[in-house]
Amino acid sequence: MNKNFTPMTTIQNFDGYKPTWCPGCGNHGIGAAIKVALVQLGLSPSSVATVFGIGCSGNMNDFLNAYAIHSLHGRSIPNAIGIKLANHKLPVIVIAGDGDIYGEGGNHLMHACRGNHDLTVIVHDNRVYGLTTGQVSPRAAKGFRSKSTPTGIIEKPLNPLLLSLTSGATFVAQAFAGDVNQMVAIFKKGIEHKGFSLINVIQPCVTFNKINTYQYYLKRAYKLPPEYRTGDFDEALKKAHEIDEEKFPLGIIYETNLPVYTDQLPVLKEKTLLERERMSNFDNLMEEYI
Amino acid sequence: MSDFLWKIGGEAGAGIMTTGLSFAKIASRLGYHVIDFVEYPSLIRGGHNSYEVRVADEKVGALKKEVDCLVCLNEDTFRRHRQRLTPSSYVIYDEADFAVQGEFIKIAVPFKKILSESKGSPVMMNMLALGASLAVIGADLDIVNDIIQEQFADKDQTIVDLNQKFAGLGFNYVKTNYQTLVKTLLPKKNEEKKMVLTGNDAFSLASVVADCRLFAAYPMTPASSVLTTLAAWQEKTGMIVRHSEDEIAVINTALGSSFAGVRSAIATSGGGFALMVEALSFAGVAEIPLVVFLAQRPGPATGMPTWTEQGDLLFAVNAGHGEFPKIVLAPGDVAEMIELTAKAFDLADVYQLPVIILSDMYLSESHQTYPIKGFNDFTASYRVNRGKLVNQPSESKYLRYKVTDDGISERLVPGTSGYFYQANSYEHLEDGHSTEDAAERVKQVEKRERKRITYLKQDFQPAKIYGDMAAATVVFVSWGSTKGPIIEAQKILDRKRVKSAFIHFTHLYPLEKDKIRPLFSQGKRYVLVENNYSGQFGKLLRAEAGIELNDQILKYNGRNFYPEEISEKLFK
Repeated sequence: MNKNFTPMTTIQNFDGYKPTWCPGCGNHGIGAAIKVALVQLGLSPSSVATVFGIGCSGNMNDFLNAYAIHSLHGRSIPNAIGIKLANHKLPVIVIAGDGDIYGEGGNHLMHACRGNHDLTVIVHDNRVYGLTTGQVSPRAAKGFRSKSTPTGIIEKPLNPLLLSLTSGATFVAQAFAGDVNQMVAIFKKGIEHKGFSLINVIQPCVTFNKINTYQYYLKRAYKLPPEYRTGDFDEALKKAHEIDEEKFPLGIIYETNLPVYTDQLPVLKEKTLLERERMSNFDNLMEEYI
Repeated sequence: MSDFLWKIGGEAGAGIMTTGLSFAKIASRLGYHVIDFVEYPSLIRGGHNSYEVRVADEKVGALKKEVDCLVCLNEDTFRRHRQRLTPSSYVIYDEADFAVQGEFIKIAVPFKKILSESKGSPVMMNMLALGASLAVIGADLDIVNDIIQEQFADKDQTIVDLNQKFAGLGFNYVKTNYQTLVKTLLPKKNEEKKMVLTGNDAFSLASVVADCRLFAAYPMTPASSVLTTLAAWQEKTGMIVRHSEDEIAVINTALGSSFAGVRSAIATSGGGFALMVEALSFAGVAEIPLVVFLAQRPGPATGMPTWTEQGDLLFAVNAGHGEFPKIVLAPGDVAEMIELTAKAFDLADVYQLPVIILSDMYLSESHQTYPIKGFNDFTASYRVNRGKLVNQPSESKYLRYKVTDDGISERLVPGTSGYFYQANSYEHLEDGHSTEDAAERVKQVEKRERKRITYLKQDFQPAKIYGDMAAATVVFVSWGSTKGPIIEAQKILDRKRVKSAFIHFTHLYPLEKDKIRPLFSQGKRYVLVENNYSGQFGKLLRAEAGIELNDQILKYNGRNFYPEEISEKLFK
């Protein structure tokens, strides 16, 4: 695909196919907010890399124009790390669902936080597996009945905010799919943040989740007040813990600046891995074998 | 003519590995060819370790049954390996430890007494043994002092001095007390200088030469030393070496970096590879180049981690759900490892698919001599071929998965201004968008399959023949690391006036039937030799080329072949 991008891009530059999500699905709002954020950051489909998971949210691969990998289920984060290592000047965004990032790929999330890889991970948290027609996700509330848990799920939901905070993420935020303006603001901050950003977007699934609806979240979500201090780790843990009580703080829960993974690689001091010259003298490697 | 096998054994943790490698390097510096083999259990202390080095005038591809000099750091070593001794074998041991029964050339060295008199720690025993060994073969002490100096270059000079002192004590004890038995078994020769490399070293070196820029791995025996070697070189080579959280992350990280435009490789053994297989299929459909170094060890499951087997051939060939092309190569020795590793990176780029290099513990961890000139010639002549990787598409409408005659489409470096595309794990249209359309599906399946056909035409190498096919009555058929033992077995058969030839495959999959079948239609006794239970390459030959080989020599006890076994089993 090619388009002639003017220096300032528009939302239309990012428009791919017409989305196939259900009417009323939270993905529409999230998709729109991502495009607006990219435009407002001055990025073009050529200057950003996105990695999509597998699920309804991952299907955004065809609706959003950009250099992209439509990955395997659960594996978008390691793909994104690879892109970043090869070309750390490229902004890299992961777009995937709660089953993908918190279930199948949970191990990768934990370790990407530890490494403070400079990625922005936007998780569509609708608490069900939509694309496979409504089984529970790791975010489902205890007792939630679904096709795979007809008598109610026994496990309690995973808390991705606490998990990423305690694993070393340097930017942790929560947004609501019903509020495009706030999503745009948070996505922009997350993409601009140098380091690992996790943005959990609470999102109704109008087809398979009749409990966690827009009304449900409107009653239980609230915006963090302006005086909230995003650099306070202990406060962030308290806020993160609230979702276990079905209370949903919205906004940047925690932000701190620490060296990112690629900044700590001596080999990337001057150029990206992609740009550097090929090594041509091998004598000093040979010596140890003589 | 020199053909000498030296073996040292002792408790794990006693320094057997470094002593063995020192001996191999010394023999190489004296002008000889060597091959060695390490036996060690999957633990760090305790248990039995041994290291054997075969030294010969000419290129040698395998060990031999007879041990010419056995160095026993404990009684267990003698007990375990005495059946390989002959009346002309030397046995170096400590009389205070145990008595050697039997007719051998006994060189008793009071290791413990010398250690206590000269206040040496028990770990110095291997230096005494190395010194004593050199006296037995008639080498001089300077050569071992040089090796010790280099080995401990980053340590304090007192450590160097201490090691040199104990090597000297062992050396002098033998010189003084066994004057009549000391012979110049390995006189110094003026031969071309050689490197002493394992298969893993060879893979590491060749990936640097081939401009691999990202290497990811999770430690797993016997592939781990590739990770540690490349990691140690990072600042010299500029390669990023990443130890990821698990093998699934390993392969997916490498696919990300390869997508972004840098040559990428990973290394593992069977169990780790099993975890990677879903992503291998992803590389297949998304057409992302990748080099996978698969060093086999006996399975199933955890199996026998520190031993050898060729048990994962069909697993590698069939790895990945769905149908997609991949290439499987298997070098037979370190020279082929260097050549095929560099080629693998080119093939991965040219055909935009995963290329698997099959090694095994025997090839990965045994050292072989390789001429420096060979390496220099190789680095001078090697040209990186990245195929259709482009910074600017040749047509204004860029189609990542454009249907072409050779099956290969242009691969654009992400970040190129004015364009974008997606590498898609779903079936896709030419432009990369997902599709479920029947006709488009057929186009893409056939496009990918044409890459296999193009490869068979352009880059497939049928097999190398060793020996005179026309005169041979017996024709061995094998692949990968059994090459050395079979070539050595041919030498034994030659002496018994049995004419043999050997068909050795390195390009294992896909196979070009028409180029292979003529080799098997010559009315010979064809004997399949494999280091596995089920004759996996035989099955592959039957499936891909319709060739049935029922005469088989198979070994699956976790040990590599000895040449004598092959020649003996031939007539059983």
